[in-house]
Amino acid sequence: MIGIHGIVFAYQKRNNLQELVSMRASASVPFGGRYRAIDFAISNLVNAGAKDVGVLVQERYQSLLDHIGTGKDFDLSKKRGGLRILPPFSIRDGHGSDTFRGKMEALCGVRSYIADIRQEYVVMMDGDLVTNLPLRQIVDNHIKSDADITVVCGNDSFYVDSGTYFQTDETGRVNDVLYNIHTPRGRRGLEVYILSKKLLLEIVDDCLSHDKYSLRRDVLQAKKDELVIKTYVWNGFAAQVRSVKEYFERSMQLLNPAIRKELFCEERPIRAKSADKSSAYLAPGGSIHNSLIADGCSVAGTVENSILFPGVVVEKGAVVRNSVLFKETYVGERSETAFVIADKRVSLSAGSTIIGSASYPIAIAKESKI
Amino acid sequence: MKKECVAMLLAGGQGSRLYVLTGSVAKPAVSFGGKYRIIDFPLSNCTNSGIDTVGVLTQYRPLELNSYIGSGQAWDLDSSVGGVHILPPYMGSSGGSWYKGTANAIYQNIGFVDMYDPDYVVILSGDHIYKMDYAKMVDAHKKAGAACTISVMEVPWADASRFGIMSVDADMNITEFAEKPKEPKSNLASMGIYVFSWKELKKYLNEDEADPASENDFGKNIIPNMLKAGEKMLAYRFEGYWKDVGTLESLWDANMDMLTPDSGLDLLDNSWPIYAQTVAAPAAFIGTESEVIHSAFNRGDDIEGKVEESVLSQNVTIEKGAVVDHSVLFPGVKVEAGAVISYAIIGEGCAIGKDCRIGEAPGKSDGEWGVTVLGPGCSVEAGRVIKAKRMLDSEGKEIAR
Repeated sequence: MIGIHGIVFAYQKRNNLQELVSMRASASVPFGGRYRAIDFAISNLVNAGAKDVGVLVQERYQSLLDHIGTGKDFDLSKKRGGLRILPPFSIRDGHGSDTFRGKMEALCGVRSYIADIRQEYVVMMDGDLVTNLPLRQIVDNHIKSDADITVVCGNDSFYVDSGTYFQTDETGRVNDVLYNIHTPRGRRGLEVYILSKKLLLEIVDDCLSHDKYSLRRDVLQAKKDELVIKTYVWNGFAAQVRSVKEYFERSMQLLNPAIRKELFCEERPIRAKSADKSSAYLAPGGSIHNSLIADGCSVAGTVENSILFPGVVVEKGAVVRNSVLFKETYVGERSETAFVIADKRVSLSAGSTIIGSASYPIAIAKESKI
Repeated sequence: MKKECVAMLLAGGQGSRLYVLTGSVAKPAVSFGGKYRIIDFPLSNCTNSGIDTVGVLTQYRPLELNSYIGSGQAWDLDSSVGGVHILPPYMGSSGGSWYKGTANAIYQNIGFVDMYDPDYVVILSGDHIYKMDYAKMVDAHKKAGAACTISVMEVPWADASRFGIMSVDADMNITEFAEKPKEPKSNLASMGIYVFSWKELKKYLNEDEADPASENDFGKNIIPNMLKAGEKMLAYRFEGYWKDVGTLESLWDANMDMLTPDSGLDLLDNSWPIYAQTVAAPAAFIGTESEVIHSAFNRGDDIEGKVEESVLSQNVTIEKGAVVDHSVLFPGVKVEAGAVISYAIIGEGCAIGKDCRIGEAPGKSDGEWGVTVLGPGCSVEAGRVIKAKRMLDSEGKEIAR
């Protein structure tokens, strides 16, 4: 098996995630009852056989560090290689001190790390992509093909914030790359790129020497005729968690058994830091329907069509509908929530009511008291 | 490297009173409370008490227990010095033998304990469910200058004759010890948790080994011998939940206690966490047409049927139309549509076929009532009926209890 190296972009701010990213990068946004978004990227890479994974961060990464730690939950805590957190480390002339203008700028900041990569191929992914790709097979296809770069695309043109869309000719070769477009056309890029280490280093050096910073403009668009860029089309679930509305809709899709079965398929388990919580507990008088309930929750009220992260407490007489409640949210007696995303340790005192709507779910900031 | 305190966990018992559940695993590796194995309790107590060196004495069916303990990382017991060690019996230059008794198991590992040159040794058992700060007990032992401290708890007088009973003076010094007395003089029962000053214990272990008539047991030999010799023996009073889960009924009871916070077994309390090896599985899903009443459940569960007053471990599937009540389901159990499970313990990975009837509520059975138990990996063909107090082994064969 030819070795692969993983690089995860976890520096992005996604301002449309509003309160959910006030204290964290989008890559560490909780998702699906017991995960952080980045668990999916790292698990995809590990399941494809990556032994070394670098995570590019810039600011607000304390929550991320806390979550992925030394990488032991992903079997990436190794003497040689394993998980590496990569804050910008070649800050020169202010370079790296401002928000990265693009992925190439982020990569240029860790050129020496890239030069030391010991595997032949590199897979680059976004930390806020929630999917479970057959990545090993995609990499093997790439190696067999004549492509210089393989980009993984969804089989759709959904609008996502800051999305990248790929148009191909009849041979599957990319002939145009679009972004900042109002009406998406072409296939939605999942921002998963496979290329050789050698080519990556050449591109980094080219960008460094010309002060180029955008992967999309300066590489994919500029070199589409020079390099063979091909797409791999993924028909399964792939959420790019970039706005509150998208976050909410994509979360709720997990209540569909078919989607859950695919995203959490047994052959490619999604790993995560484990909270040391007891079993979830449904007290006498409580009821739960069509919901995902994580370890350590305690429910004495009513929960419907919702996702509860570890340690959520729903007291007697409280009603939680169509909501996503992060770790240790407290819903007091007779309180009511609907279409709400409550961040970590939000507390709703007895009798309070918060109702959003499907088209405008309400995100409540971490540790708010209501 | 010197350690003040080393813990030795006795995990070598046959666990024969758990019958088919310990058919292929050691008792401490048996599932508990949905998320745990029994051994998680003493190991977590050690790490929460600041004891970072633990020897686990095993000899029966150790494979699963060994792989479960692994490096000890789940309990923060993977230190570079100390940590958790599996200690099976071994051959020395002059031969070797199985662990003949609890005291002999420690005797055979005097070399291990001496490596850490501890002042105190805590002796623990692998079949109790409780949360306890051993550091406080060691402190009491130190303060009293005792040779041995035994943890005790008050039991109802009516039950006292089932335990090892301690009589104490006003300062909690043990004056008398009686194993299962017919007429108990006290209701302070030994919990099988001991703190010894290592120097003294070593002396008594050596003497005990030299006595061919001895059963090499702490309760029967070491403790009485120390009392007889006039050593300072302290009783340490424990208050809180404690249960020996060495029998099928007590294991079932303790699981049910978890559903009643009043029982004192509150596992949702974060101040004294119980750690466990965890599995990669998504949050539990409770379906639209399911009916779940007063139960505990875990990651990877997929519940579409009815579940009442039950404890479900990880990755359990309950199909639509299946009913589970007053039962404990170990990890990976699958219950097909129309099956009914009542007052039962279902071992790891069992597959229950359509329309099976497993177990009966007390009072509804013809013969003597008891919990129905299925051994791990047992596959029950559709429509089969298994009455109260019956057991099936891993092959699905009925076993007498």
